[in-house]
Amino acid sequence: MSLRPVLLIARREFASRVRGKAFVVGTLVVLVLLGAYAAVLATLASDDDTARVGVTGPAVALTGPLERAAPAQGLTLTVVPEPDVAAGEAAVRAGDLDALVGGDAARPRVFVESEPDAALERTIVAATTAVARDAYLAGRGVDPAALDAAVAESGPVVVAAEAPDPQAGQRLGLGLAGAFLLFFSIQSYGAMVAQGVVEEKASRVVEIVLSSVRPWQLLLGKVLGLGAVGLLQLVVLGGAGLAVAGAAGVLVADVGLVSTLVSVLVWYLLGFALYATVFAAAGSLVSRQEDTQSVLSPVTIFVLLGFVVGFNLLTYDARGTAITVLSLLPPFSPLFMPARIALGVAPVGQVVLAFVLTIAFTAGVLALGGRIYANSVLRTGARVSLREALGRRAPERAGDR
Amino acid sequence: MLEIDGISKRFGSTVALDGMSLTVRPGELYGFVGANGAGKTTTMRIALGVLAADAGEVRLGGRPLDAASRRRIGYMPEERGLYPRMAVGTQLRYLAELRGRSAAQAREAADRWTERLELAERRGDEVQRLSLGNQQRVQLAAALVAEPDVLVLDEPFSGLDPMAVDVMSEVLRERRDAGAPVVFSSHQLELVERLCDRVGIVRAGRLVAEGAVAELRDASAAEVVVDAPHAPPGWADAVPGVARARAAEGGTVLTLTDASETTLGAVLDAARRTGPVHEFRRRRPTLAEIYRDAVAEEAAA
Repeated sequence: MSLRPVLLIARREFASRVRGKAFVVGTLVVLVLLGAYAAVLATLASDDDTARVGVTGPAVALTGPLERAAPAQGLTLTVVPEPDVAAGEAAVRAGDLDALVGGDAARPRVFVESEPDAALERTIVAATTAVARDAYLAGRGVDPAALDAAVAESGPVVVAAEAPDPQAGQRLGLGLAGAFLLFFSIQSYGAMVAQGVVEEKASRVVEIVLSSVRPWQLLLGKVLGLGAVGLLQLVVLGGAGLAVAGAAGVLVADVGLVSTLVSVLVWYLLGFALYATVFAAAGSLVSRQEDTQSVLSPVTIFVLLGFVVGFNLLTYDARGTAITVLSLLPPFSPLFMPARIALGVAPVGQVVLAFVLTIAFTAGVLALGGRIYANSVLRTGARVSLREALGRRAPERAGDR
Repeated sequence: MLEIDGISKRFGSTVALDGMSLTVRPGELYGFVGANGAGKTTTMRIALGVLAADAGEVRLGGRPLDAASRRRIGYMPEERGLYPRMAVGTQLRYLAELRGRSAAQAREAADRWTERLELAERRGDEVQRLSLGNQQRVQLAAALVAEPDVLVLDEPFSGLDPMAVDVMSEVLRERRDAGAPVVFSSHQLELVERLCDRVGIVRAGRLVAEGAVAELRDASAAEVVVDAPHAPPGWADAVPGVARARAAEGGTVLTLTDASETTLGAVLDAARRTGPVHEFRRRRPTLAEIYRDAVAEEAAA
């Protein structure tokens, strides 16, 4: 019986948010932004330098060496013979060529629009070096091809103690994206819980609601309802991200991927329960929307700082002591533990410890936050001090009688 | 039967309620009057479980109120409030379901009360788009939509237009006639006098007078109005049983120590000795006067 009101409240919160234009538009905007971001990343990544180079005169001899040198510089090179220097320079000016190589093969003259592309320059240097070397070797009766063959056979054989993870990049990306989505979702939906609490206080409807249900039921219903909205958005955004990454071939579905998704969901639920309760308790201290920011700022800034520090630690060294400790501390575990799990750097013992600590911490926050909420939610007027809110019997302003 | 038994409540150093007790019987319309800050709202909030009492108990039908039985109380808080962005119909159904009604019952009741309160065309509108008067009607519907067995209404008449006052009075009588205990607070004493079966006067957190309006009148100080045109000033001062005399209501109003035949006879005789007597009647105070006396006596004590 006592759960039906909780579900009713959760349903109302869910429906009033999801039906609102703000949710649909907001989700679409974030989707578009994420899509644009992914597109930019994709073009940056796929932009593995293509170049067209014209050769003319004796430098035509560079054609072969240029084509052989280009792959080592990450350059896809097209070498085009040009009839003469004038035609070649005209093509460079017109943008058809990135550079024109003319003159002596060992000391060619390179004509470019402004500055030569770094990779292209290195390619040309490598080509001229090869030409000079080959000429020198040939002059001393050594077959350059035989030398190349001998050099190609040399090189170390690397034996790694652990097999290299072919999906390390994918894991890092997934972990960071997960941490970011969790942070984003917890911050925005937590703030929504606070706003909802203040709205109920400001409109005084809370007294009618609390004459029907207990404060903990109202609090729980709100957290569940908005948590579900946040989860829905997380699934939509995460799903879209995965679909795009999958389509782009950046992502390979495997057991690791599934377990990462599951851990992100579990940690989201825990993290949301934790932060939403804090936000609700903070929101219950004030009576007007204008004051909401003043009580939320300390919480959001704390989380933001932790997030920025942790995010950097995560990209810098995911196995480091600092991020390990941070990911074990309950207020930050939900943000970073899933990322470390995704990266495969969190031992099972640490995961279990973080999980237990977070559950214990959340239970404490729920008890304390629920008390602050119950003590403050009916009090209007001046901001409620934390000491009063925590008291067993909070004094109420005399005018409230 | 709604029993409020000896509840006390302090807010810091302020005593809001000091042993407040009152009983509202089934089929009784109970008026709760008192100055601002006397403790009416606190009493109602405690009855609804919105506040916790420091001492005392609230019982419904002889059993202490719990969460389940509180849902059977229709409540209109002094601080009006509804979800501003929720549609009227949806909101009423939601509030009914929160009080334990099924979805079908809630829908039926929301439709019926919006019809009754002439809000049917506004069902789909957000509450914030309604006029203040119509928002008040929605507030009343919110108190009634869960088909409560008991009504506790804090200042239900404040801010209502005359039409809405009539509808509200009608609804209160109807619930009373259906056997529900109904209690409401109000500063409009004539309205309380007209509507209520019993009245409780509260001052500084306690009930200082309680009873049917007629009982309260009889219990208050006996007064007579005497119109004797030729009587000189101070004619009644020496009459045994006369405590106080003042010129008012077109004659002399005498406050008597008792309303016995002897005293009344002595006063009438004294009046006749001054000449013709045009009027001689027992004066019954209005509720407003009883209220003022009750509050003043306490203040003096």
